[in-house]
Amino acid sequence: MLYAPVRLRVERDVIVRIRRHLLGKGAINVSIGSQVSPSDIIGTAQVLSGFRIINISQTLGISPKDTENFLKRKIGERIFKGELLAEKVDVLGRKKIITSPNDGTLEHLNEETGDLRITFLSKKVELPAGVFGIVEDIDKIKGRVIIKTQASIVHGMFGTGRVRDGILHLVGKRDQLIDKSFSTPALEGKILVGGSLVFKDTISSCISNGVSGIITGGINSKEYKGMAGGRLVFPKKLETEIGISLVVCEGFGSISIGSDIYEVLSEANGKFTTIDGNSGKIFLPSFEANSLNKIKSTVLPPISQDPLYIYNKYQEQVELKKGSKVRVIGNTYAGEQGNVIAVDNSETVLASGIRAHLVTIETQRRKIQVPVANLEVIDYSF
Amino acid sequence: MANLSGLFDSFDNLDQIDINSLLIWLKGVPIVSVQLENYLANKILYPATVPITAIDMKIDLAILREVLRLNGPKIGSLEESLLGDNPFLNTTLRKIIIPEKFLSFVPDLINLTWAFVDGLLLNRKKKDLYEDLWTVVLVGDSDEIVGSVLLPEFGSKQENLDISIQGENYKIKAGSLTRISCSKPRCELAYTITNGNILGKNAGAIELYGGKLGLMIDGRMY
Repeated sequence: MLYAPVRLRVERDVIVRIRRHLLGKGAINVSIGSQVSPSDIIGTAQVLSGFRIINISQTLGISPKDTENFLKRKIGERIFKGELLAEKVDVLGRKKIITSPNDGTLEHLNEETGDLRITFLSKKVELPAGVFGIVEDIDKIKGRVIIKTQASIVHGMFGTGRVRDGILHLVGKRDQLIDKSFSTPALEGKILVGGSLVFKDTISSCISNGVSGIITGGINSKEYKGMAGGRLVFPKKLETEIGISLVVCEGFGSISIGSDIYEVLSEANGKFTTIDGNSGKIFLPSFEANSLNKIKSTVLPPISQDPLYIYNKYQEQVELKKGSKVRVIGNTYAGEQGNVIAVDNSETVLASGIRAHLVTIETQRRKIQVPVANLEVIDYSF
Repeated sequence: MANLSGLFDSFDNLDQIDINSLLIWLKGVPIVSVQLENYLANKILYPATVPITAIDMKIDLAILREVLRLNGPKIGSLEESLLGDNPFLNTTLRKIIIPEKFLSFVPDLINLTWAFVDGLLLNRKKKDLYEDLWTVVLVGDSDEIVGSVLLPEFGSKQENLDISIQGENYKIKAGSLTRISCSKPRCELAYTITNGNILGKNAGAIELYGGKLGLMIDGRMY
């Protein structure tokens, strides 16, 4: 008998607790025991001003010391999003313009570099519940609400970034390379589902555009190292944060998002989603009102013992047999999924010189033979 | 069959390997640094996976060489300790220690031993002339001596080493890597080298350990 480790990748419709956070100081509008639906506003916050630096001289192609002459507002004045900030007209009458990216105040102009600093105005931001559920805990000081809800959970391989939420948005096919062109300002606040590989430039552009999170099949290790504190240690011990949350579902390099995960993400396209980069998990809440019955009747451990859903990582092994759904790990055929159609009883000498028991797998596109050591079982429910 | 623990899960610093150093071992292998970085990162993620292709095996051996170099004895460490302070090289007893489980991932003992020589002895400054001769030990449930590694010092690139072992004569060129079968537990070797030496002499006879590996002669000039 041959055995392979089990990996839990997708859990459908389980009862979990999720955290909802105010984005700044504010008030919580619900009480413990309240029943909430996705559009209910559970709190409001005043988001403190941030700032943005725009290099006016580079954008207009002028000398830094001349920048002030091209500004359409004076330092200290207020400006609203989309209003004209600076303008240059060349000798042929062609215009180059810069508009304000947000509501704010022109705070400072650096005449040596041409950098203009705009301080954003604080604004009121409402916090919707985002899910059907029951409020189980409130921390007014931290502005945090814990809601018991029903969700499907995707267990990615690893990731980075704190818990964030947003509307899930599929930007490409599961095997597509996701370059910078996929990132636009219209994706602000969204969680993007990318393809097989997301590039550093894409991540930088998404941060600039205010994207909440990215879900991808693979990432280049050098770029992940840069985001995860310079080391590749699994399970990752330190929590890291770079202004966006990222969950990598398969591994390093260009690896398509597995069909099991892509299927559940496709079903959640356009819906509210929570992503926890540091634990590599994605929470896809149920939007069926009748889920409330299951939520009410399911008892979870007390919050003091288990504040959030705790995933007990499966380390056990199961017997490989015909019909087992498996995923290839390692570097050759990485991430391919399929069903076992044959398990060899005797060992075969591979091209590498290693003797190994081979397993034949039928994937969507082809049949492949893989050593047992390079497999994990992803569906052991049958 | 239980899942084997991996070749690389003995090491917790694989991510410290310099990719350019790896590429030096992979001349002629069609792989670029980004692919190699990702290959290494996936090995860290799944240390128990086995190489399928011959190229995968070359990459794994390159990784092994570099990670042994990183984890080999460091200058100034407690090398004088009788039991040795390093799991792979006992400099006091002049033993190269190969965990038997590594053979599950690199079944060719000769290639595996060369990886250990490259990782642990290449460019190593010899403290004394006795470091010309190392015993290779496979360590598992019990220890097994499998052979010896000889590191002659050649005076020039044109030099040859003449040896006689178990009645057979061999001419070893400077710069070459040679393996000679010597299955007896102890083997007698006679040698002459005009411009160079072994154990401080340019001619002599020594008794060394044999076994299933035999004698490996590293003629590279460090």
